Amino acid sequence: MEKSCEDIKEMLVDYSDGRLSTIASNKIAEHLRKCEHCRRILEALQRSLELAGVIWADGLAETKEIRIPIPVKARKVRWSRYAAIAAGILLVLTTSIVWRALVRPAEKEMNFAEIERRIIESGNAARLLAAAELLDEYSEDEAVVKEQYRYIVDTYPQTSEAVKAKLKIQ
Amino acid sequence: MNEINSDFAADAYQAAGEQSSKQKLDIFLAELGRLKRIVAGLGLSAQDGEDVLQDVSIQALKQSGKYQSREDSVRWLIKVTVNRCLMEHRRRRSFRRRACEILKRRSESKTNSNRTDEKVIDAEELEIVRESLQELDDSMLWPMVLRYFCDLNSKEVGEILGLNPSTVRSRLREARMILAKRLLERGVEP
Repeated sequence: MEKSCEDIKEMLVDYSDGRLSTIASNKIAEHLRKCEHCRRILEALQRSLELAGVIWADGLAETKEIRIPIPVKARKVRWSRYAAIAAGILLVLTTSIVWRALVRPAEKEMNFAEIERRIIESGNAARLLAAAELLDEYSEDEAVVKEQYRYIVDTYPQTSEAVKAKLKIQ
Repeated sequence: MNEINSDFAADAYQAAGEQSSKQKLDIFLAELGRLKRIVAGLGLSAQDGEDVLQDVSIQALKQSGKYQSREDSVRWLIKVTVNRCLMEHRRRRSFRRRACEILKRRSESKTNSNRTDEKVIDAEELEIVRESLQELDDSMLWPMVLRYFCDLNSKEVGEILGLNPSTVRSRLREARMILAKRLLERGVEP
């Protein structure tokens, strides 16, 4: 009898789930009619599953409120952010290239020309100043000398010789 | 699908853009009820469940056309949800709901729906089963939930958990007997 109960217990879950063949089910049903112990186990199996279902269903009631914010929109925002960053980088690069290509070379050319022009002017002014000083030293005509100095001041105003010429006039 | 706000679903479809994403969303939304059962059955709180399902939806959208049929996609969704739940579950098992809370909520919903044909549920019995589920080893709890609460058969449960159907059946038997014995041990007459 004991052994029979052990064998039956092995099959009670499948019996409870209705997974046994008709022959096997009939054998179990016959045993259950005679054995109160196995009957109580079967009832406990069914009852515990019923209560587990209640607990799970309660959890399900809680999850009913769950709303799933599918993050497709978030992905869009991320793409637009990437696009904005890329556009920003592109803008900076373009500005930098345009600056280097147009502004800086032009500035270099102007500086060189200016320097060259100033050297030439300085040389001319120095030669004229030297001539005017010689004239001042050996000539009696003060008006002619002053006119020479004034010419230097008017023609090469940015040179240091123009400043010296101005002082001579005074 | 009924549980989802229709505006939201339309919004998501529009944003999804490509056809494959729309199909994936369709399947995800159609199976959401079942996925929620898995989340609830494995004892995750609403907050944790929301995180899990959000992750699953992201994975579903990212998944490229690896699975051809709808059945494959559904199986994949269930598998990912179970795995994600298990990850969460390992961190904290959260059958936080007490028997009295369950019964209170149940009596409220019963009043609303006038269900009088159900058996009266004893708080003590409920607490015993709740505790037993909480103490049940994960290897037995997961097959229990998938088989009895998510209505999957042993073969499907085995595929999801990477087990033989016979192993699933033996674990189910073991788990069921543990719960039944706890009820009997505590002297509660079923």
